[in-house]
Amino acid sequence: MTLAARDIEKRFDHRVVLRKASLELYPGEILLLRGPNGSGKTTLARILATTLAADAGSLTLDGRPVRQILGDSRRAIGFSGHRPLLYLGLTPIENLEFFGRLAGISDARARAARLLARFGLEEFLGHPMEHFSRGMLQRVALSRALLPEPRVLILDEPYAGLDDQGSETLNALLLEARGRGATALIVSHDREHMVPGLTRTCALRDGAVEVSA
Amino acid sequence: MTALRVLAKDLKLHARDARFLATLSLFSLSLVLILSVAFGPLFRDPAREASATLWAALFFAGVLGLTRALDLESESGGGEALRLTGADPFSVYAGKAMANLLLMGALWVLLLPCASVFFDIGSLRVFPALAGVAVLALIGYAAWGTLFAALARGLKARELLLSILLFPTLLPLWIGAVKLTHSLWAEGSIDAVRDWVKVMVVVDVLGIALAAWLYETIQEAGE
Repeated sequence: MTLAARDIEKRFDHRVVLRKASLELYPGEILLLRGPNGSGKTTLARILATTLAADAGSLTLDGRPVRQILGDSRRAIGFSGHRPLLYLGLTPIENLEFFGRLAGISDARARAARLLARFGLEEFLGHPMEHFSRGMLQRVALSRALLPEPRVLILDEPYAGLDDQGSETLNALLLEARGRGATALIVSHDREHMVPGLTRTCALRDGAVEVSA
Repeated sequence: MTALRVLAKDLKLHARDARFLATLSLFSLSLVLILSVAFGPLFRDPAREASATLWAALFFAGVLGLTRALDLESESGGGEALRLTGADPFSVYAGKAMANLLLMGALWVLLLPCASVFFDIGSLRVFPALAGVAVLALIGYAAWGTLFAALARGLKARELLLSILLFPTLLPLWIGAVKLTHSLWAEGSIDAVRDWVKVMVVVDVLGIALAAWLYETIQEAGE
């Protein structure tokens, strides 16, 4: 499944954030998108994940415009961003079961429990998340994005707040996703974490994507 | 099934928020109490005053419920994740509207006996008909309120915008609910004001139809 963005433009008020940004994500690859703060990485990630509309340009999934197949596209894309994208009044297992069932996963609860256990949260499955730490919320947020085993993963700063064990679990899950033929875009400015199995590295400069490796 | 899952999720979130439920109950009870004191102690037309008070309290307190439902979706991005599941937008709307309807229904159950006691009116005989009026009025309130709440999502002055949009639109519904409730309390039947039932049904159907047409567009335009 190929997700392709071409000539994407986005401005907020009068500030141009993305200028003719193009990026293609091919099956089985893990791509790292870097860039300094404010370079538009998150904006591009949100446009690719369909949570934000571009002002101009095209976004296609296997050649079909994403906006024409929005429901199917969203079921094919897993996204985790700066916000947890969770209901804090629910427990981790309730959150994942809710989102999983809406995405059409019949064994959502069992799959969610396994995923949360891999992130070391088995003791907290039934705890409301209002008092969770940043790292714990990040683990649940990543579990939510990974739960439907999406064909395309877009993870914006996924290592933020994670300890070594959490980072290792995420790396293992990324490799498993790649093994299934999924593609992953990792957005990060953090040089400390080595993303495993990287096939390409890109950078955003002046609102456009440059392939740097 | 999507609508029922969204409904269950919203009800669970409301039920776990004791502070919100207490605020909503106290605010609406205070409104009934203040208006009953303002109209009293000798009521000129207790049935009219009680019905106006009941529905004014319900409609004003309902904005708190709609705003809270909006906050639950936006505070940690749960609503964004909901959209990303690819679930049918109208089913999501239906689930949220049903949750708002049940919340308002619970409020009505709380306020009705208070209004009856404070204004010293009412009888159990007309309770089924009063419940019918409430269903008719609250379906419209939830249908329009959920739609307008989606429109106000993400705005700083969302409570203000919600009230500005909601109250003028729901004026026919409010007048109808007051007239029908008054008629039931004063005369025991709605024969004299039966036409208001049709007006309320039209407002309800219009709200649901407009949501079916526009909800997805409004949801996507918010980003």
